[in-house]
This record gives sequence, C-alpha cells and structure tokens, in this order.
Amino acid sequence: MTKILKTAALIGALLINSTYAQAEENIWNWLTDFQRAKEVKPVTDKQFLKECGECHFAYQPGLLPARSWEKLLNADALKNHFGVNAELDKETLQSIFNYAAENSADKSFYKRSRKIARATAEGEAPLRITEVRYIKRKHKDIPEKMVKGNNDVKSLSYCNKCHTQADKGVFDEDTVSIPNYPDRIN
Amino acid sequence: MKCNIRFIVAASAFLIALPGVVYAGDAVRDIAIPSITSAYTNGSKSYMLALNDDPSSQKNGNAIQPSPQAAEFEPPMFSRSNAHKYLGLSTLALVVATALAPKPEEDATTQAQLDEQKSSTHAKLGRAAATLAAATVTSGLLAHWDDFHLEDGWADPDNMHAMLGTAGALAMLYAVSKAPAEGHAGMGMAGGIAMGGAIKLTW
Repeated sequence: MTKILKTAALIGALLINSTYAQAEENIWNWLTDFQRAKEVKPVTDKQFLKECGECHFAYQPGLLPARSWEKLLNADALKNHFGVNAELDKETLQSIFNYAAENSADKSFYKRSRKIARATAEGEAPLRITEVRYIKRKHKDIPEKMVKGNNDVKSLSYCNKCHTQADKGVFDEDTVSIPNYPDRIN
Repeated sequence: MKCNIRFIVAASAFLIALPGVVYAGDAVRDIAIPSITSAYTNGSKSYMLALNDDPSSQKNGNAIQPSPQAAEFEPPMFSRSNAHKYLGLSTLALVVATALAPKPEEDATTQAQLDEQKSSTHAKLGRAAATLAAATVTSGLLAHWDDFHLEDGWADPDNMHAMLGTAGALAMLYAVSKAPAEGHAGMGMAGGIAMGGAIKLTW
C-alpha cells in the first residue's frame, strides 16, 4: 500500500509540476478541461485579426514569446515593420500589444506554444516567425525546392500555404499539404 | 452474477461514452473567429507577407496567388499520429475495464484454479491493456520521434508525455508479469494513472 501511495504521489507531483498545470494555475481546472489544447491558440481578438490580417497572415500570439511581441509591437518598431510603415494609433497599438503579450508562447498553455517557449533560450527574442528555434527545427528537413523553389510557397513565413488549418492554430503534420507536391508523405 | 452484470453495464456505459468524449475533444472550439481563411489576410496585399522573412527570400517576390490546394485538402483519417492517439485512448479504456472487471479468487492452490485465474476476464483485459500500452509507446516513437528534444528539459510537454507514457507501459507490463501469483494491483494502477497523465499532458 505504501508503494502505491508513493507511486501515486510521484505521478501527482510530476503532473502538478507540469508546465500545463502551472499555466492553468488551477490543477482541477486543468484536469477537468477536456477541450484539446495541443496546438496554438487561434486568434480570437477581432482587432488583432483586422490590423495584422490586413497585410499578412495574422500570426497567432502563441507563436512568439512575449519578449518578441514587446520588440515588434511598439510605436518605434512599427514605423519600420520589416520595411513597411505599419504605424497604429496609440490605443489600437496598446490593445493589440496587450492581446499578443497575454497570449504569447510563454504565457499560453497550448502545447505547441509551450514547446516554442521551452525551445527559446532565455532572453532570446526572435523577431521573425522563421527565426524561432522550434519552428526552424521542425522545418529543417524540408527540401528547399518545396519552399523557396516552389512558386506557390516561396517562403516559410507563408504558414497557411502548406498548413491548411493554420488559421485555426493547427500546425500538425497531418494537415500539411505542400502546393505542387501532393504526393509528399507526411 | 450480480457483479458481472454491474461490470458489463459499467463497461458498456464507459465504451459508449468514450467516442463522444473523443469526438467532443476533436471538435473545433466554439470561438468567435472567421470560418474562412481569407479573413486572415482580407484577401489583399498578400505580397507583404514575404516581408516577414529574411531578405534573401524576397528577391523573386512576385505576388503569390492563393493556392486552391489548401481549401480542398482533407487531413488523412489514417496516419501514424492518429494511430498513436487511438491506441493510447484504447489502452486507457482497457485499463479502466481491467480495474472494473471482477477479480478471480486470490488464493489459488490447484493448477485448475491457477488456470481459471489466468483465463478470467480481468486477466485477459489486463494482458490486452499491457499489449496495447506497448503498441502505443512503439507507435509514439515512430510517429513523434522528432518531437523529443532532451535539450528542452523534462518540463517540455512531449518529453514528459514520453517519460510518463513509457513508465506507465513498463509498469503495466510488470504488473502483468507478476500476476496472478504476486500482488500487482498497485503497479497496474500506477501504470494506468501514468498513461492517463501522459495523455492529458498533450491532449
């Protein structure tokens, strides 16, 4: 009986200490929530979706750590947002920044976001999605001809070209379809 | 007899409820997001997306037309990843069924009693659960080998999932190897809990 209690206590400690349980703050909420959270939280903020999605795929905040959003979403940085002036009024910028920071990879309990946060070194603040260590690692085996050499893809930053459910925050292999390479086996 | 009926009713209810749980879990969250992909780019200025990549990739930056492939694509029903998921859930179902199944008499003194113990529903379910647990671990290694990165530490959800899942499967195999002669309930239960914890961590 002591053995059972010890084993149960060890497993319990491991679960309670897990990043998921910590992120959820309440172990019971986490234990009783059966909604799937294995990917990246989809964008739910209409303003974020509108302002970012006007020009490019509205990357989910859970794809970058809060440090990155701090560097990206400030008045100075937006004057030259990857070569484009993307300035926003103060209130809109504050609202978008708050949403991004609250749902960033290091604050999210979604599995893929947690993995992005774990793989990012302390203090590191990648500015491009394609510079995120976890994302680079996941794409390292994809031949260049399928991305840069593929007229329908061109760059890894076009997430939704191959990740058919990217807008829902789903980036798993089963939902990947590389344009012009229909026979690629996942 | 009464106990058997109770077990069958409980097991049936569990098995009926399980697909519903799985379906509910797979269903998309009810959130206020547009259902069409074009809302994410508003269908305009898609050429600017390339600006989020390194400059070298922008040299041939013609405007890219949306590919119809994404809209037509249906994720495969059978994949290594799905096989791993359903093997894991089936293992859990069998663990619960094993725990609910009536246990045979503990003190077997004759060969006939021993044979009866080994052929009981509890024993059969236990062996099936342990076998499925081993298959789950194997399929997990095959489907998700590139998700393990020890440099990310044990708190990485996939690393912990792998650790708990493997420990659970080993505990269940150990419990089956010790049954019926020696006590094995604790080890079997610990294996089931570890397996359940592993699934929950990456659900």
